[in-house]
Amino acid sequence: MSLSREAIVEGLRRIVGPDAVVTDEKILVESSVDNFRKLQNIFDVHTAPVPAAVVLPADTAQVAAILTWANENGVNVIPRTGATATEGGLESVVPDSVIVDGSMMNQIVSIDPYNMQATCQCGVPLQALEDRVREHGLTTGHSPQSKPVAHMGGLVATRSIGQFSTLYGGIEDMVVGLEAVFPGGEVARIKNVPRRAAGPDIRHVVIGNEGALCFISEVTVKLFPYFPENNTFLGWTLKDMATGFAVLRDVMVNGYKPSVARVYDPGDAGLHFSHFAAADDCVLLFMAEGAAGIAKATADGIQAIVDKHPECTQVPSEYIETWFNDLCWDASKITAEDERIRQTHNVNRTTEISADWSSINDIYQAAKARIIDEIPDITMMGGHSSHSYINGTNMYFNYFFNVVGVGPEEETDKYYLPIIGIICEETLKRGGSIVHHHGMGKARAPWVKDEYGSSYYILETLKRSFDPNGIMNKGTIIPL
Amino acid sequence: MDHLRIVVGFKVTPDYEALRAPDWARAAGGAAESGGGPGAPETRYVRRVLGVFDEAALELALRLRDARAEAGLETSLAAFSVAAREADPFLQTLQALGFERAARVDPRAALDFAPRVTAAVIATYLRRIGSPDVLLLGSRCGPGESGAVPFLVADELGLPCVTEVTDVQIASRGRLRVTFAAGGGWIRATIAPPCVLAVGNAVVSMLRVPTLKDRLAVRERSLDVLSSGELGVDAAAALAGEPTVLASLETIDRERAGTIVAGRTPEEKARALYETQLRARLERL
Repeated sequence: MSLSREAIVEGLRRIVGPDAVVTDEKILVESSVDNFRKLQNIFDVHTAPVPAAVVLPADTAQVAAILTWANENGVNVIPRTGATATEGGLESVVPDSVIVDGSMMNQIVSIDPYNMQATCQCGVPLQALEDRVREHGLTTGHSPQSKPVAHMGGLVATRSIGQFSTLYGGIEDMVVGLEAVFPGGEVARIKNVPRRAAGPDIRHVVIGNEGALCFISEVTVKLFPYFPENNTFLGWTLKDMATGFAVLRDVMVNGYKPSVARVYDPGDAGLHFSHFAAADDCVLLFMAEGAAGIAKATADGIQAIVDKHPECTQVPSEYIETWFNDLCWDASKITAEDERIRQTHNVNRTTEISADWSSINDIYQAAKARIIDEIPDITMMGGHSSHSYINGTNMYFNYFFNVVGVGPEEETDKYYLPIIGIICEETLKRGGSIVHHHGMGKARAPWVKDEYGSSYYILETLKRSFDPNGIMNKGTIIPL
Repeated sequence: MDHLRIVVGFKVTPDYEALRAPDWARAAGGAAESGGGPGAPETRYVRRVLGVFDEAALELALRLRDARAEAGLETSLAAFSVAAREADPFLQTLQALGFERAARVDPRAALDFAPRVTAAVIATYLRRIGSPDVLLLGSRCGPGESGAVPFLVADELGLPCVTEVTDVQIASRGRLRVTFAAGGGWIRATIAPPCVLAVGNAVVSMLRVPTLKDRLAVRERSLDVLSSGELGVDAAAALAGEPTVLASLETIDRERAGTIVAGRTPEEKARALYETQLRARLERL
């Protein structure tokens, strides 16, 4: 028999004390969704089941106690830190869930400049860690747009990637060790070593689990020397995305590692570069960084590659540098965007996928054409490639629509989910992955079996083994 | 009025918030060549945005049209900008939103902080197309702006000017109910056009967005583009005669420090907050 809300709150208070259990109705209602249903918070119209409590553990032992209790009592647990999720991973889809919020576990445990690694608790904001390591002339190399607001636990839980990934890699390339708590209260620590071949790399059971297997309580990430004085910016306009993808491929195949390598389609370029790009222009841009010799060699190599494409027209580097300096989203930009949505009902959404070089342009073209044709009230449909690899790249679809004739609570059903559906279908049809770096959440969970194919067996077995009672973030990654 | 002619004048401005520090520093050094003219910061490398009050003026015009349509009244909408080609994408957006006429008057001179010249160009243009029933203008736009243009245009056209307008709604017999800020509060006046409305800190401040289909529908429509010279106004020469010029423009560093109030419980934090931030101030009262 399931516990009542009162019994859940009482049980949590016994574990962590009354001050660490939040039952304020407004906070609970806002915690029922994340940015996937951001209109519900913006317009204060909510439909999801309201969580029973938000609990703020102080340390790993309290997390273990909470998960043990939840496992014994069948209470759904949603792990959370910075609450910047975009794909419904933090949404409560069953009544009386408990949000386990690690934001009070916010200590930087150590910064080790000799071994080039830093250890921090899950609730450390990435910006705080970055600021601290900069004092040592170092950087985490991780810079997602959410850097000012996201926390380390959530970044690892969602397999986050940053804007400099082509040089530094995704979070999975940065995490050298971690600590995680499983539903039975088991605390597992994976030690920090440069590499290991002692069987499967079990970091990857935890990285990207989205709170569906365990709670990440501590992480250790690599550090890198920081040479901002050597940053070199390069930019071109061009007339089609196929050429842009071809240039990106040439750069990657020839072994160059710019920190930023992007191509924007005309719609997306219009949002950022309309002061120098024509309405039908794509924009190709790079940033080379690192030690002086490396940055110069990288920039020179890229310049030589693009010079072979006369259809690309170079623009002054100041355009790209100015864009670069204004990349991240801080709290004031989020507030301003919310106000724009409130007034205009014009909503910006994004969906990111990945595919090999042979398929990426076809996916981009097909999805874009279908969305413009099939979805009403679209005001901008575009995108860019921003993370490239030797065998392929990602496509970050960026689109806006007016919400017309429905309430804020119906926006996802009328617009967002149908668009996600088109992008997933066109990606799966061509062998790509339906999620590049935002996580599956609950938004893309319906496509999980198509995404995994026969390897779904491994995922399903992981879930069954580590979370036999199904208390970890129901509906995330694997749908209800 | 069964038919109301609304004209909105707007300005596009560099996105000053995105300017790099060196681009502001160039202004302090009095760079000879920059996007905004001598003494201005380097603005070539940032995108253009609508002036915030101009954006509000455009949306208020659309809402007025919608309200009149619901009441069975006709409205024509026109928009113009005294600008170089950087205003064209904004004019095309306005066409897609239903502005029947979208025009750009190119002054072929930098008119920042030249309100009399700007007003002369605007008034001459409006006389050319026929003085509107309602002229909406943003009350000012961006750094280095005088805020005088709406007054000067109204004066040139011989129309009354309501300033710091925050809202406009329809009233009976073709009149407008205009809300404006005054004396630390707000006043609502019912006005029979013609008039000039200088829009300030409006409740509605953001412009709606046209759909791709809206844009497609007006793709073949051209903009009205003419130079101020074609209107008989030599803006460059008039500018040379301006008694006041903007000599330089620089930003002021307003970075603030923050303190995290620590404590194991809310009570401890409240006590620390009181001790460190409040007690001394309260004792001074």
